Amino acid sequence: METATKPFEFRQCITILKATGRKAKNLRELRDVLAVINTESIFHHVYQYFLKGHILEYTNDFAQWAGIVLEERALSEQLSNIDPFAFDTTDALRHELVEVVDRYLRTFPDPGDVLPGEEFFFNQTVTLIFPSDIRAKNLAEFLIAMRYIDGSSIYYHFYEARTRLGSRMDDFAKWFEEVLGKQELAQRLRSVDLFMHSIEGIREHIIEAVEEEVRRGMYGALKETPALAR
Amino acid sequence: MLDQYAGIAPKADLMLLEQLGEELQGRSFLHVNSTRAGGGVAEILQRMLPILTAIGIDARWEVIEGDASFFDMTKKMHNALQGTPETITGTMWEHYADVNRRNAERLDLDADAVIIHDPQPAAFIDFKREGWWIWRCHIDVSNPVREVVDGIVRYARRYDAAVFSVARFAWAMGTDEFIIPPSIDPLSDKNREMDATEIRLVLDRLGIPTDRPIVLQVSRFDRFKDPIGVIQAYRMVKKYNDCILVLAGSPATDDPEGEVVLNEVREYAADDPDIYILLLPPFSDLDINALQRSATVILQKSLKEGFGLTVSEAMWKGKPIIGGAVGGIPLQIVHGVTGFLVHSVEGAAFRIRQFLNNPAMARRMGERSREYVRENFLITRQTRDYLSVWYTLEAGRKTVIEV
Repeated sequence: METATKPFEFRQCITILKATGRKAKNLRELRDVLAVINTESIFHHVYQYFLKGHILEYTNDFAQWAGIVLEERALSEQLSNIDPFAFDTTDALRHELVEVVDRYLRTFPDPGDVLPGEEFFFNQTVTLIFPSDIRAKNLAEFLIAMRYIDGSSIYYHFYEARTRLGSRMDDFAKWFEEVLGKQELAQRLRSVDLFMHSIEGIREHIIEAVEEEVRRGMYGALKETPALAR
Repeated sequence: MLDQYAGIAPKADLMLLEQLGEELQGRSFLHVNSTRAGGGVAEILQRMLPILTAIGIDARWEVIEGDASFFDMTKKMHNALQGTPETITGTMWEHYADVNRRNAERLDLDADAVIIHDPQPAAFIDFKREGWWIWRCHIDVSNPVREVVDGIVRYARRYDAAVFSVARFAWAMGTDEFIIPPSIDPLSDKNREMDATEIRLVLDRLGIPTDRPIVLQVSRFDRFKDPIGVIQAYRMVKKYNDCILVLAGSPATDDPEGEVVLNEVREYAADDPDIYILLLPPFSDLDINALQRSATVILQKSLKEGFGLTVSEAMWKGKPIIGGAVGGIPLQIVHGVTGFLVHSVEGAAFRIRQFLNNPAMARRMGERSREYVRENFLITRQTRDYLSVWYTLEAGRKTVIEV
């Protein structure tokens, strides 16, 4: 098993919720605040969905509110179907969210005001990133680590990294490609549809892909060993 | 000491706690509140300070002192902030400021970080000299009396940050407002494991029979906890299911209304031999623990609730819980998943009957509840969050911080 010159150092994160002070009591207000609220808030309500576990029915907080509180199911489906990782910037994502709401407002009557306390509260987070004290020098060690690292580690390296690094790149694929020279494995990770899996589902996908790579490596090594190749 | 939480609290929380402890090693951290006994704030602080000390932080806790008229006024303030119409006169505000001033002169308020809990000592900000000052609001202030909010906001907005339990409580005061739910300590006498013999001994001592299912509400005798509504719900259930009702609570030194409400509840319960009203002394933690563990169904039918530690306590014991859909309770009870949220006496009665008649569903929800609390509402997470806020302020309020 080849050993990397630069080991992969797993980090993990926690977030603390912060109120922005903005809220919306109907869809029109949601649209108006959405158009101007800071990008950190949009990031929290959309990208950090994956940190929330899977109690929510829809794939971002705006869709969840539209579906559960406003009971505008068609709108929540349209908002849910927006893939945030298809956008290069959070502002581009904001534009799409506003566009979907505008289109809905043009077609259907305005939903009324919600009851007090049921408003959409725009929040954001502070993220603290810290080392997990786990590192991997090769794929075998990476595989073991993947089974045990905290879910927040997967979020940080696999989801959050895509907005941090851009170009649909994540920390794992970057290490595979740039340090281990495993382009194919990196490509396989990049092609995973993030939206269709929970963090635990992603963990399984990564383990599966790396296991296959390790198996192939071992098989390849066996073929190259003359005594065993016969 | 953190080792004791290994295998119980999430590992990531413990790791960050240790790391923040190293970063803030030897620094001083002061908490101020209005009572050393009774109520959730005192309970959390009793358990949190040893954790802070164990990770190398010089943690202290001071308590504001006041006369009867001060606590009458702050109780009115508490009620008004939770939405009950109350009049607070200019003279009352002056007395409030005066009591705060005298306490500020008496106490050592110098620390690297200071958390002032709830409105009673909020005016201490006038006497800030150094450190990061954080105002921590524990009550449900989502629909408050505006004039009273204004009276408190003039102090609260001058803090470096404010902390609320739930996002919809935040006030948009112009200072950083963090959302940090309260927590329970899985190792405290209130929440630690108890064996059947130990539980039986407590119930015998309290005179609670175990021959029928127990429906329980643990809370202060406070109208916001709706003890009368709980009795009404129990009476509706009693027509179908034989059970007993236990209402258990302790007095708090900063709650002068408790005795009045207790008398109202006793009167309303009349001579029903199956209603047990227990006024337990402060620190009756094992008694509460035993009651929660022996209950078949646990209620927290609050009409207003900052958070409801008793909800998390019951969930930690794997109990099915029914809570009022108010304040911080919906943060803990995911309706139909970890319990039921109700909006009326009838709703409470219906859900009690469901749990009494469907033990498998009750058990399933109880199991999910315990895991939900483990991940979200243990004291290690809350301690971590307070230190994170302090660290965030020191880091210049950035949104992404490398520790």
